[in-house]
Amino acid sequence: MNFLFAVFQQTTRNLFQTWGSQVFTLLTITLSVLIFSFFYLVYSNMLNVGKQLGDDLRLVVYLDEEPGPELQEEYRYKILKFDRVDRIEFISSKDAYQRFSTQLGEDKDVLADMPDTFLPPSIEVYPVRSLDTLSRIKRFSDYLMTLPGVLKVQYGREWVERFYTFIQLLRIVVILSGTLLVLTTTLMVAHTIRLSLLSRQDELELLRLVGASSHYMRTPFFLEGAMHGFFGSTGGLFALYVLYNWIQLHFTGSTVLPIFSFTFFPPVILMIIISFSVLLCASGSFISTNKFIRL
Amino acid sequence: MISFRKKVIDTSDVMVDIIKVTKSYPPNVHALIDVSLNVNKGEIIFLTGMSGAGKTTLLRLLSRIERQTKGLVEVGGYDLSKLSRSKMQKLRRKIGTAYQDFKLLPERTVAQNIAITMEVAYKRPILIRKRIKKLLDQLGLQDKYNTPASELSRGEQQRVTIARAVANEPDLILADEPTGNLDHETTGRVMELFKECNKKGATLIIATHDESIYSNTNHRVMELYQGKQMFFDSQSKKRQLPSFVDELSFGDL
Ligand SMILES: Nc1ncnc2c1ncn2[C@@H]1O[C@H](COP(=O)(O)OP(=O)(O)OP(=O)(O)O)[C@@H](O)[C@H]1O
Ligand SMILES: [Mg+2]
Repeated sequence: MNFLFAVFQQTTRNLFQTWGSQVFTLLTITLSVLIFSFFYLVYSNMLNVGKQLGDDLRLVVYLDEEPGPELQEEYRYKILKFDRVDRIEFISSKDAYQRFSTQLGEDKDVLADMPDTFLPPSIEVYPVRSLDTLSRIKRFSDYLMTLPGVLKVQYGREWVERFYTFIQLLRIVVILSGTLLVLTTTLMVAHTIRLSLLSRQDELELLRLVGASSHYMRTPFFLEGAMHGFFGSTGGLFALYVLYNWIQLHFTGSTVLPIFSFTFFPPVILMIIISFSVLLCASGSFISTNKFIRL
Repeated sequence: MISFRKKVIDTSDVMVDIIKVTKSYPPNVHALIDVSLNVNKGEIIFLTGMSGAGKTTLLRLLSRIERQTKGLVEVGGYDLSKLSRSKMQKLRRKIGTAYQDFKLLPERTVAQNIAITMEVAYKRPILIRKRIKKLLDQLGLQDKYNTPASELSRGEQQRVTIARAVANEPDLILADEPTGNLDHETTGRVMELFKECNKKGATLIIATHDESIYSNTNHRVMELYQGKQMFFDSQSKKRQLPSFVDELSFGDL
């Protein structure tokens, strides 16, 4: 109790004595957390988009001729033995023609002269939900190519490829901004705590002389660092939340982001980001005080 | 804290044991040479000698602000050269020092300055306030409670230093020139306070040039001259020796 009181008193003294650099540090941490959590939010939402799109993604296997019931069974067996495949669907030439003409709508006249079997029959494979990396999709489509009577396998290649490249890129940005976060917070806090230590050098010297315990001398600085971490990260996440709401307000319902709903972090992730920042800042202050406070 | 008191301070009747201690500063300043001193629990002892004789150095060795070059320094039964950092911190909380250069924090108030020794011992704030009020009363500083230390006169600062040293009721009080800036009456107040602490069980080592504070007592006096132990005996013997040393050191305040 008395210890807590003493620590609290010391900490407030620190905060007031070097408030200029305190504010600056707080802003830096806020900004770092904001940058990191922004990219992380985009990244995690993109992963969700990937999952949502996965439902719609399918591989189309074009065949050179209409498969008979026996051959259909064989295809079914050979494709479904992959546990990642949900279901397959056979599309006959006529079905394909029907679909195509529905898609064309008013322009379906262009098909008038075509025989209704001019499109090749195909098998639609719905596996992509769990095929979360591009290389897996590629490998699977390579396998499908080896099946007898297969002309071509299509998987909206370009689009999928771009999407996964984008996610790769985002991943790198998240890692970079995470590293930036770690560096800035630790170094800035270490620096501010050093300033605090310097501004109170005479007092620390005196505390040493009158036998203050190491805890008594260090805990206030530790707490100072932890407070930077807490308020900095909370501030950063709050700023992100404001930004998020602004984006929601201006873009949902419009055509820019119609395909998916953008969601904010769940509470668990918020807690993790905050505790991680607190931990980082506390270790920043640990680095400083460790060098400074000796008997 | 209580167990510590028993373990560290009460093991024997000896509070301070200094045996053949030499302290040299590079390159070749010998602040203390082969000094031995034995102070019993509850004793008051005076340390005299001209400026530069080594009085402050001796006191600094006792709370391990400096370490001796040779010899043994024991406080409360503990060999200081072997004491761990945390044990030394505990021991320092039981030693109250009034520094010759005061070491006050200028921007803090008188009360805040005095509170430090009690705060590091985790005393309750109410207790601290009461103790400070009482000490300020005793030292004639009752209206300075909230005055910043930088606005005090030298004599007032000196008394604040003394109050800080005794506030936490330490077992050993080291006072370095505690009355150097004080008039006769105020010196009397300070000595009263010291006597009171002594009655409650504290051991006191007082370094001073002020002959008047020990001339009428029968406490032991140790005299240093250029780092050597000149004289260490009872009061009566000392008065028979020519005291040119004391005369010289008066000029050095
Ligand atoms: N840190 C140091 N480095 C080098 N020499 C020192 C140091 N501290 C003290 N000395 C020297 O040690 C000697 C003893 O100094 P000390 O301060 O103990 O004297 P003193 O008896 O307290 O004098 P005064 O009455 O003036 O306070 C002096 O010659 C001084 O110059
Ligand atoms: Mg001195």
